[in-house]
Amino acid sequence: MSLAVRTEGLVKRYDGTLAVAGVDLEVAAGEIHGLVGPNGAGKTTTLKMLATLLLPTAGRAEVAGADVVREPDAVRRVIGYMPDSFGVYDDMKVWEYLDFFARCYGLPPARRRQMIGDLLELVDLADKREAPVQALSRGMQQRLCLAHTLVHDPSVLLLDEPASGLDPRARVELRELLRELRALGKTILISSHILPELEELCTSVTIIDRGRVLASGRVADIEARLRAGAVLRTRVLGDEPAIAAAAAFFTADPTVVAVERHDDGWLELAFRGDDAESAALLARAVGSGHSIATYARAASDLEELFLQVTAREAAGDDAGQTPTEGAR
Amino acid sequence: MTALAIPVRNPLRRVGAGLGWLATGMIAVGTKELRGRMRGRRAFAVLTFYLVLLSVFAWGIFEFQRNAAAMYATPWGGIGFPSVALSAQIGQSLFSGLLVIETLLVAVLAPAFTSGAISLEREKQTLDLLVATPLSSFALVAGKLISALAYVFLLILASVPLAAIVFLFGGVGPEDLVRGYLLLFAVAIGFGAIGLFVSALVRRTQVATVLTYLTVLALSIGTAVVWFFLYATSGISQVGGVVPGSGNTSAGRPAQQILWLNPFIADLDLICGTSSSGYDVACSIISAVTGKPYFGTTFGGVSGFDAAGGAVAIGVAPCPPNARCAAPAVLADVVGPEPIQQPTVTGLPRDAFWPQSAAAFIATALLLTFLSAQLVAPTRRLVRLPRRRRHAPEAST
Repeated sequence: MSLAVRTEGLVKRYDGTLAVAGVDLEVAAGEIHGLVGPNGAGKTTTLKMLATLLLPTAGRAEVAGADVVREPDAVRRVIGYMPDSFGVYDDMKVWEYLDFFARCYGLPPARRRQMIGDLLELVDLADKREAPVQALSRGMQQRLCLAHTLVHDPSVLLLDEPASGLDPRARVELRELLRELRALGKTILISSHILPELEELCTSVTIIDRGRVLASGRVADIEARLRAGAVLRTRVLGDEPAIAAAAAFFTADPTVVAVERHDDGWLELAFRGDDAESAALLARAVGSGHSIATYARAASDLEELFLQVTAREAAGDDAGQTPTEGAR
Repeated sequence: MTALAIPVRNPLRRVGAGLGWLATGMIAVGTKELRGRMRGRRAFAVLTFYLVLLSVFAWGIFEFQRNAAAMYATPWGGIGFPSVALSAQIGQSLFSGLLVIETLLVAVLAPAFTSGAISLEREKQTLDLLVATPLSSFALVAGKLISALAYVFLLILASVPLAAIVFLFGGVGPEDLVRGYLLLFAVAIGFGAIGLFVSALVRRTQVATVLTYLTVLALSIGTAVVWFFLYATSGISQVGGVVPGSGNTSAGRPAQQILWLNPFIADLDLICGTSSSGYDVACSIISAVTGKPYFGTTFGGVSGFDAAGGAVAIGVAPCPPNARCAAPAVLADVVGPEPIQQPTVTGLPRDAFWPQSAAAFIATALLLTFLSAQLVAPTRRLVRLPRRRRHAPEAST
């Protein structure tokens, strides 16, 4: 059970549109895993399926070894879920809010009392104990919602855009809080549409767009690939030894940072250099006797992807954020 | 992890643990709801408004009856014919009036407190927080229903002292009042559950509220219209109840089940229950609905309409249990050529209709609460219906 969250070909289709199109996700226990992608990438849908709020159309999803479809109650006991947009109850005090959720998990009264004190201390709301929930600021409500996910001491936290709508200081505080929670041994799956926001916090990330995983791994690895510059896709003709020889040739070349082998002689080269160097590399490869059928800069290299993602996110923010803000 | 997460072998203990878990959830939701509901002025404002309305209404009935009595008062003292303002009749009028107005208030208030129960959680985006907890859906909807009803029950019980005024006048026994309150509770549960169900079914609270009240209207008025239309076209000529020996029995009568969820028809049964003669409109209607004979068997041949027109002789008789007996002091005019030879029981047997009606309300409530629990979230259904596909499955991955 070293994997806290695992999905396999997870698909969610809403009335013909594919919100999540086969997501494979693996989050090891104790990690802070970031789910990054633009608005509408399928982050929220994925988290909702993990939180047993939506049934997957296809595929499997497990949290702490429990299947979300077959054992939803087991999943609900080990997760703490914070939705991207959530409401608060009117006519409720801060401590009553936590007390209510603690009761939903069946905690005995003595433990509830102690837990409420501890959690309010943790999220820095101890002096707001008797305050009405709807009178709290947005940041405080966010922290209270985070506290509610912790009432039953879950091992996995599913946080959907917990930093949205927070001012920079509140973001820093949230980050500190999440680090503290990780130190307590919790696995955190956190979504955001801004990669830099997660970069310093997360131990690993998955980048998704249009319901598909584009990249996944440790932040350092993805960063290395981002810094490496372009990705060249090339197809080598010939049998297995010929392809292996070509791969070895590229690996040995100083302008190539890494080589990834795919089927049918396809190679992906993490390449550092400009177009002239790229042309020189091709000339060297052909000169060494490798038969190159295709040689091109990959359209979906991570950097471009990232720009594309952030550009779309910026455009989407302008269009989509205003009504949400107005509604609050 | 709670103790409940530990698998229990013994099936009985598993059932016990399941029920315990359900109770825990219902208490959680109920506590939360009541904390919210009883906080602030609204709860007490509604209670005050409710009691003031009832008081004004009761006072109005009393004044009406008093004026009627004054109109017929004779110069030499006492009361002339028709004897409208006997104390017992004031009591019965008060009882009837209060019962109907309380039914009306319950029919309006019970759905008001439940028709937002689930849809408000959806609108305020708090439902997802609950669905992600192990709180059972049934506990959620039942807790919502019970807490909403707890407040309606408070309203109903707060009216008991007011309703007890009828005992000053007499004509109504404590058992009548108890029946009345049992029926009110059942109506509150039934109509509350209708609101809850619509709230779980429909996304928007406004739509849910409108649909709920349309349903309540359909049950309160629509069913009566339908039933009486069917009755009028069924070929049964007598509107005024069933006369033994006339062949005018339950055959061909529209099913009384149509009216089971009509609280006002059940009210009529209770009103008929306090009637001293059994000759009033309430009894006529209940007789027509249930197909139960209007009179005791010795009174064949006299129709309800005849009886309602004039006074009817009543022998002084020991009153058998579960039968409505005439109060001899009220009507003692003797008509008819034949002397009465046997002890006579008048009116319908008691409890001809309302117990079925109350049971129907409670059964409906149980069913709708269960169905509401199924509608809370797609991941929380007992039976997952195969999803209809609008598009051909596309090749993914």
